[in-house]
Amino acid sequence: MIEYKNIHKAFDLPVLSGVSMRVESGEMFALFGPSGTGKSVLLKTTIGLVIPDKGDVEVDGLSGYRDGAKAMQAIREKIGYVFQNAALFDSLNVLDNVCMGIPEDELVRLPRAEAASRAWEALELVNLEPREILSKIPSELSGGMKKRVGIARAIIGRPEVLLWDEPTTGLDPINTAAVERLIRRLSKDLEVTSLLVTHDVEGGLLMCDRVALLDGGSLRFCGSPTDFRASPDPVVQAFVDREAAEAALDIGVLI
Amino acid sequence: MIDWLAGVGRVSRVTFEHAGGLGLLSWQIIQATVRLKVSMRAILNQMYIMGIQSLPIVLVTGSLAGIVTSQQGGYQMTSAMPSYILGSLVVETVVLEMGPVLTAIVLVGRIGARITAELGTMVVSEQIDAFKSLGRDPVAILAAPRVIAGILVLPLLVGIADMVGILAGVGAAYLDVGLSVESFFYGARLFWHNWDLLYSLTKALVFGMAIPLISVHMGLKTKGGAEGVGITTTQAVMFMTLTILILDALFPPLMLN
Repeated sequence: MIEYKNIHKAFDLPVLSGVSMRVESGEMFALFGPSGTGKSVLLKTTIGLVIPDKGDVEVDGLSGYRDGAKAMQAIREKIGYVFQNAALFDSLNVLDNVCMGIPEDELVRLPRAEAASRAWEALELVNLEPREILSKIPSELSGGMKKRVGIARAIIGRPEVLLWDEPTTGLDPINTAAVERLIRRLSKDLEVTSLLVTHDVEGGLLMCDRVALLDGGSLRFCGSPTDFRASPDPVVQAFVDREAAEAALDIGVLI
Repeated sequence: MIDWLAGVGRVSRVTFEHAGGLGLLSWQIIQATVRLKVSMRAILNQMYIMGIQSLPIVLVTGSLAGIVTSQQGGYQMTSAMPSYILGSLVVETVVLEMGPVLTAIVLVGRIGARITAELGTMVVSEQIDAFKSLGRDPVAILAAPRVIAGILVLPLLVGIADMVGILAGVGAAYLDVGLSVESFFYGARLFWHNWDLLYSLTKALVFGMAIPLISVHMGLKTKGGAEGVGITTTQAVMFMTLTILILDALFPPLMLN
C-alpha cells in the first residue's frame, strides 16, 4: 500500500499543495490531470526522486523520509519505476540495461548466465524478441521498443509495486494499445500494485480499479471509474468528454 | 547601491552553493571509495579515456610549450649571459609552470567539458533518476571513477608533457641559438632541484582532482533540456579554467618558499 500524506512541493511556484491519497495493495490506480499539475512530481516523491517540502509518503508502512536512507533503499527495491521516456542508459546495451533492474546485491551474486536468462524472460514478457535486441544499444531502438525495454528493466527485479509515468505518451495508437494491454497483463500476472500517471483517460478508466484527478496542486477527484464518468464536476467532465473540455475552456475552468 | 549589494549577495550565494556542493560530492566520493563501491573496470575505462586518448594533444601541447619557451628565451638572451642559462630557463619553466598548467587547460576542454555534457544529458534524460530508482548510487557509478581516474592520470600526463617539452626545448635551442645538448643540460642541472619535479606532479594531482570534480558537480546540477546542457557546460569550462589558474597562483607561496 502506498499512502501520500499531505504532500507539498514548490519549485519556483507551488506544484503540490497538500495532496493526500492512498493506493491499496494489488490495486491498479490511475492519476489524471492537466499538464504541469504535478502528477509526475507526486509519483517521484514515492521513491525520493523529488523530496517533498512537507508531508510524507509511506510504502507498506515504511517512509524513506522519516525512517532514513536504508528505508528509502528498501522502498526502491520493492518498486519498479517506468519512466516517461524510458530513461535507458545510453552507453549500455539492452541486456545490461535490463539487468540493472536486478537489485545490486543480488546482481553481484548472480552468475552472468542467470542474469541474462532473467533479462531474456523479462523481455519476452514485454513482447520483445530478446535474440534480436539484447546486444543493441538504446539509440538503435524505436520509441515503442525503448518503452518496453524500460518496462522490462522495471519488472526484472520482481517488484511489488509498479509506478508508470505516462507510459503511452508519444506512442502511436497501436503501440499505445499494446502497452496498455501489457500494463494490464503484467499487473495481473505479477500481482503488483500499479500507480499509473497518464493523459490517456479512456485507457486509464478501462484499466484501473480507481482513478484520481489532480488539478491546481490538489486532488479534485478520487474514486471508481464509474463515479468519475458520472461526476458532475466540470473539470472531471472535461477529462471524460471532448465537448465538455471545449465548454470548460470557454468558461475558463481549465487553463 | 542596493543593486550592487544584491549582486554581491547573489554571487556569494552561488559561490557558497557550489563550494557546499563540491564538498558534499567529495565526501560522497570518499565514502563510496572506502566502502569499495567503485568499480575497478569503470576506473580503468575512465583512465583510458582521460589518459591514452588525451596523449596526442598532450604531446603536441608539451612540445610546443618547450619550443616556444626555448625560442623566446633565446631571443631575450644577451651576450652578457652565458647561453647555457637557456637550459635552466626552459626546464624550470616547463616543469614548474607550462607542463602542469597547459596540460590541465587542455584537459578542461577535452575531458571536463565532455564529463559535464555527458552527465548533464543523463540528468535531463532522467538517466540519473533511473539509477536512483534502481537503488544504484550515481556518485559511486559515475562520479567516483572519473575523479579517481583524473587523480591517477594527470600526474602521468604532466610527467610526459614535462619530458616532451624539455626535449622539444633542447631541439629548439640547438636550432635557434646553436646551443649544444651538453650545454643545455649543463645549464639545466645548475639550477635544478628534485623538489621541482615533486612540485610539478603535486600541481598535476590537484588539477587532476579539480577538473573531474567540478565537471561532475556541474553536470549533476544541470537543469532544463539541451539548452541547459549547453549553458552548464560553458559555465563548467569557465569555472574549471578559473579554478586551475587560481590554484596555480596559490602553489608558489605554498610550495616554493
